Amino acid sequence: MIGRRLFTISLLFSLCFYLSSALPLLAKGGPKPAPQPKAKTLEELAERYDSESCAECHEEIYDQWENSLHARSILGTGRTAPTILTAIDKGLKNFPFSGVKKDDDITVESLMFCAKCHLPQLDEATDDVAREIVATIRTWQKANKEGNDDLADEMEEKIESLNIGCMVCHNKVAIIHKWADGYPQPDTVYGSQEGEHDHPDFDKMAKAPAIGESIFCGQCHGLGPNFELDEPSQCATLYGSYLYAYIPDGGSESCQECHMKKSGLGHDMEAYRSENMRKMAIDVHVDSMAYYWRKNKEEGVIPLAVVKMEITNKAGHVIPDG
Amino acid sequence: MPHPARFGRGREMGRGPYEKSGLLRETSLPPLRTVKEEFEIPFPYKKSKKNGKPWRELVSDTMNVDIKLWYVPFGEFDGNEVLFFEDKRPVKLTGEWVWR
Repeated sequence: MIGRRLFTISLLFSLCFYLSSALPLLAKGGPKPAPQPKAKTLEELAERYDSESCAECHEEIYDQWENSLHARSILGTGRTAPTILTAIDKGLKNFPFSGVKKDDDITVESLMFCAKCHLPQLDEATDDVAREIVATIRTWQKANKEGNDDLADEMEEKIESLNIGCMVCHNKVAIIHKWADGYPQPDTVYGSQEGEHDHPDFDKMAKAPAIGESIFCGQCHGLGPNFELDEPSQCATLYGSYLYAYIPDGGSESCQECHMKKSGLGHDMEAYRSENMRKMAIDVHVDSMAYYWRKNKEEGVIPLAVVKMEITNKAGHVIPDG
Repeated sequence: MPHPARFGRGREMGRGPYEKSGLLRETSLPPLRTVKEEFEIPFPYKKSKKNGKPWRELVSDTMNVDIKLWYVPFGEFDGNEVLFFEDKRPVKLTGEWVWR
């Protein structure tokens, strides 16, 4: 009797020990990791988040991503980088309490005004990197104006090296609810699978619970003012319209379902630049008629054409946004 | 398009991510909704006289209408505009123009 009880207790103890040691394998994230040393140069930051090593195994996904605006999040369509300068020159330098009167005053904090979404990994860099980014964009802009194509190309390549690459989405911002799910670990790629990962720096895979949900994209794609900043910037309201217009009107699809799966674009998430996305986004119906309209006493009856348009937005958000 | 307020106060629209805060007005196409637009285009006619009285002559009883829906990202037709929809159709006027 005592023997059986002891056996049961030791079996329960073994089971508890097994479960507690297995829990880290089931957890999506982990404890908050110690911060890495800050990147001191633009090149160092770019290298830390370079996606080329992922291309060795994920070539198709890499090629898709490379065509997207994520791959050039600071340069954008050519307007993003100049707008960052405008935000500094017309914004920060005119705000009496920003601490920025000249480019030398720029810090990571000041540039997070834009980098919160366009380059979230900037918070792992020193203020020198923030200043180097601004200086690079200015050199690029000047080179373009002066027709110095070689220098413009060189600067453009440097700006493009900073982007929303694989390890931004699949590590840095992979886990949204960190207290519930744990913090992203530096050796882990987060996605839809778990297990070992054949990469010298990221040798584990774990699930990012919300990576396939719209809330994941909503981290950057716009709720309106960024209230967490001392000076809230506002670029996009897209996710806001998804939450407060699309869902209440009965919508139920996620960003990823349209922009990655249905479109067939995968990691080349596009918007209005893709003809397929434009067709998916809206339906237009046109009707027309003509008649003689009694306009007024002065002009009397005039012949009039009437063209009626019905434009239906099928997307999960307002069109356009901005 | 969204019409954000300048620093989230007053009734002036802001410009750039450093000024835009909140919304004053929203004219974008709302999701899952249909927006209707109507355009009135007078047929061209010539003014003249007939039997000493003012007269109007229709130039053509058919108008070829080009319909285009553009997205103009930066407010100007600067090479970045994108055509979302295009249609061409004749609109024909029938019947008599009595009150000329």
